[in-house]
Amino acid sequence: MADLKNMIAQLEQVALEPAKAVAGIKSEGKKVVGMFPLYLPEEIVYAAGMIPVGMWGGQTEIKLADRYLQSFCCSIIRADLEMGMRGTYNMLDGVIMATYCDTLKCVCEDWKVAVPQIPFIPMVYPQNRNIQPAIEYMKAEFSRVQAELEKIAGTTVTEEKLEAAWEVYEAYRAACRKFVKLVEKMPKTLNAKTRHLILKASWFMDKKVYTEKLNAIMEAIEAAPAEEFNGTKVVVEGIMTEPLALLDAFVENNVCIIADDLAHESRQFRTVGRTEGTVYERMAYRIADAKGDALLYEEMKTKGQFLIDLVKDSKADGVVVCMMKFCDPEEYDYPIFKVELEEAKVPMLYMEIEQKMDSVEPLKTRIQSFAEMLS
Amino acid sequence: MFFLGIDIGSSSSKAVLIDENKNILASAARNIGTGTNGPSIVVQEVLEAAGIARDQIQFTVVTGYGRVNYTQADKQITEISCHGKGIAHLIPGARTIIDIGGQDAKVIKLSQDGTVENFVMNEKCAAGTGRFLEVMARILNCNINELSDLSLKSKHDIIISNTCTVFAESEVISQLAGGASKEDVAKGADNAIASRVAGLARRIGIVPIVAMSGGVAMNPSVVASLSREIGEEITVAPHPQTVGALGAALFALEAYQKKEKN
Amino acid sequence: MEQKEKISSKEMLNNLMANHYKSAMEAKANGELVAWSTSIAPQELLETMDIKVVYPENHAAAIGARKEAQKFIDDAEGRGYSIDLCSYARVNIGYKNIQYADAENIPLPDFIFSCDNICHTVLKWYENLAKDLNIPLIVFDMPFNHTYDVPDHAVKYMKGQIEEAIKRLEKISGKKFDHDRFREVMEQSNKTSQMWKDASMVAKAKPSPLNGFDLFNYMAAIVTSRGTKEGYELFKRWKEELEEKAAAGLGPWKPGEEEKFRVMWDGIACWPYLGPTYKGLKNNGINMVTSTYPDSWTILYETGDVDGMARAYSSNYVNRNLNYGVDNIVNLINEFSLDGVVFHSNRSCKLMDFRQYEVQREVEERTGVVSVIFDGDQTDPRAFSTEQYNTRIQAFLEMLENRKEERRKG
Repeated sequence: MADLKNMIAQLEQVALEPAKAVAGIKSEGKKVVGMFPLYLPEEIVYAAGMIPVGMWGGQTEIKLADRYLQSFCCSIIRADLEMGMRGTYNMLDGVIMATYCDTLKCVCEDWKVAVPQIPFIPMVYPQNRNIQPAIEYMKAEFSRVQAELEKIAGTTVTEEKLEAAWEVYEAYRAACRKFVKLVEKMPKTLNAKTRHLILKASWFMDKKVYTEKLNAIMEAIEAAPAEEFNGTKVVVEGIMTEPLALLDAFVENNVCIIADDLAHESRQFRTVGRTEGTVYERMAYRIADAKGDALLYEEMKTKGQFLIDLVKDSKADGVVVCMMKFCDPEEYDYPIFKVELEEAKVPMLYMEIEQKMDSVEPLKTRIQSFAEMLS
Repeated sequence: MFFLGIDIGSSSSKAVLIDENKNILASAARNIGTGTNGPSIVVQEVLEAAGIARDQIQFTVVTGYGRVNYTQADKQITEISCHGKGIAHLIPGARTIIDIGGQDAKVIKLSQDGTVENFVMNEKCAAGTGRFLEVMARILNCNINELSDLSLKSKHDIIISNTCTVFAESEVISQLAGGASKEDVAKGADNAIASRVAGLARRIGIVPIVAMSGGVAMNPSVVASLSREIGEEITVAPHPQTVGALGAALFALEAYQKKEKN
Repeated sequence: MEQKEKISSKEMLNNLMANHYKSAMEAKANGELVAWSTSIAPQELLETMDIKVVYPENHAAAIGARKEAQKFIDDAEGRGYSIDLCSYARVNIGYKNIQYADAENIPLPDFIFSCDNICHTVLKWYENLAKDLNIPLIVFDMPFNHTYDVPDHAVKYMKGQIEEAIKRLEKISGKKFDHDRFREVMEQSNKTSQMWKDASMVAKAKPSPLNGFDLFNYMAAIVTSRGTKEGYELFKRWKEELEEKAAAGLGPWKPGEEEKFRVMWDGIACWPYLGPTYKGLKNNGINMVTSTYPDSWTILYETGDVDGMARAYSSNYVNRNLNYGVDNIVNLINEFSLDGVVFHSNRSCKLMDFRQYEVQREVEERTGVVSVIFDGDQTDPRAFSTEQYNTRIQAFLEMLENRKEERRKG
């Protein structure tokens, strides 16, 4: 048990001090490339011998970014631009950004002017993603991005290197899928905050190293006795669940995150890669095969049913929608799945969150009320 | 036996004392909230009114924005659950509660047996809260209690279209400059709040009986506007300001009975 | 003599729009297919198939101008749509539920046609419509061009989608796609586009015979009638009228009302406040001569060239990079001899807003003109303040006057 706690604490530390973790990678002589939200071709970065790291904003006071963005802009992207302008990201050897929404399209352009000091690779994923021309388009984008990355890395990416990177990523994704299911066994040790920090650590580590550490944690969990839990189990939906004080409120009220539909967490790894085709094709099909994601166009939106199934499978008591304020795609999905969840009689809590909030007290009240309502 | 409920809001403090038969023995309210001596004043007031000492109280529940920092209670419960509890007791059969306080507005849906089934709260923005009325009262240079009297005398409908309190302020000033009467502006303000809160209510669906609690419920013109906007009659809880504290006291009684049973 | 027999372009416009709405309602009543489409989509395909189309953005704008947007917005917000989402979407989603507006009425669609060259928002909005109505959705995804021009692999992808869309249209309508008719429609669409552009270019004359707020009116027709001869005739008449006025040296307003300053408008109109936004400028002698509207529907390509067509649709300025966005406005400033730019910071349109500050800076730096940004919204009446607008415009006027004075002094 002490071992498990130590192993968990190690990953938590990475998540709590990402800058230190990234500096650690750099000190080993590796280059690091920043990954804007949401889904990017990390395998190519890895195949080029570099480490992709996450850029999911932070609790930053916005001063410089106001030069480019009105106040009604997504707080993650605003924080990213702010930190880019402040030089917080200067340790990055490059940054990749894909234009998944209107805000990202604009910030892609602003970034070029605002943060000229970091090599920048914009790219586009197709939305009409299930037709062959879209797969071809993705392959062309990957190959263009690969050429840019090769310049930064000073190496050539071969099919073997891509193949090896794909294996590392599929192993990491399989481990994460297994991990989120283990919360059921230890809902106290893997409370809302710890679960988040463990998953977050993956954004600032070599995925190979991360997977080893996560596997070791899972072995220890499997050997340990199951924990009794009489609190509330919920599925969380949204982009991500920061600020951390929000997760403190879950923990304080004995609310456990039994499963998630977060872009920052499960949506990164829940789609299993195909086994046939070239690595580029497999990467493209992971985008084409993704379901129930607000950022990826879907003619017959399946998110409502996806959430209902997730609640059933995980035996959750309800769904907590963590609406990242000003995220248009998420805000459009909500009224649709709201009706479907209501019809299925799934209790739901809707909260608007921003990364930097004046006060999380109102959120705490909502979470406590929801727990009181479900108990 | 005595059970105490305390509701510490952002700008007011309320207390209600009940006995084991749910009779209200005393209640008190002050317009100073968390971080002040408001909570201790209202507690003192109900104790004095009932003629008892603090240590005679079997169980205390605290609710409201300031509940977390209040150390002298046995338990803290959110204002959502407490308003639900209070209304279910005062207005049996109520299914929808609209509560407009100083800083927030909430709509609570009760099940047939009076437990909280769903709820929504306003986000961040002051439109649709008591704060909006305070701003309007300041512009009209009147007391917040006088707003309702003004509004009831209104002869012409004017629309305050802006939701943002800052925008609305300039809109109202220019309407006054353009000759609009104070009465009409007051009515416009009521309608603006009503429209915002009705939007919130529609999100969870409005089922009669609709009850109203919270300080703004004492303003009859807002209640009338809101009733028109949602197309349902609204039953205002007696002493709407202390419904949350009453709910807390009722929870205190339940918690005590449960403790005794075990 | 001939003059008197011709009907004015304004009448033609009114007739054309009335007929547009009426014929769509009739088509629906007769059991014909009706599509809802985004405003800058490859309508050529629908025109070729002879399918009735209505445009929710146009319709929402009409509702906004009629000042009845609020009730539709309330309906959508009551269903959980955030106040921060595009107000065209909120109005249209409310309309889908309420199905009656005093302004104009449109039939519910049998399928939906959505092109994201104007924003990602339409993709989500139309996705919701298709889900709610349980009808097919045909999407044209036009990748954002972070490069100045449209890259070839994007053209290939878009062409693939056009081919896919044709197959789906054949399936939905049960009719064969007629490629000869397609060529005719392409040719007509180019002619109408060009005429729309030519008419708007007459405003280069000093003073401008065009009051730019008219662009907002005529815009309805370039959306609905780009593939038709009627559209072409309308813009041709409009162009003649403007040319006659220009030849006579007439300005945008009544004789005696001088065009003191010439500016452009960046972004969408504030439909619920057309009067106040117009008067705020006109009362100060400021004429809005042009805007980003004319080029948005100047979609030109060689007849028969589907690649070129894809490229043209993807070239909308909001779908291109910052350098293009700046060049676009700089060119308008030079072509139309403008003194300034009015930027609408439109709560509904994040895609236009979040580059606006930088565009403003670069445009000012490259051209030396002055500009102003005001807060508003395309259809939500709650997000605009006339007083605040007038104050900003007055400050803008003072800058314009100062600049003129400086120039006079040399």
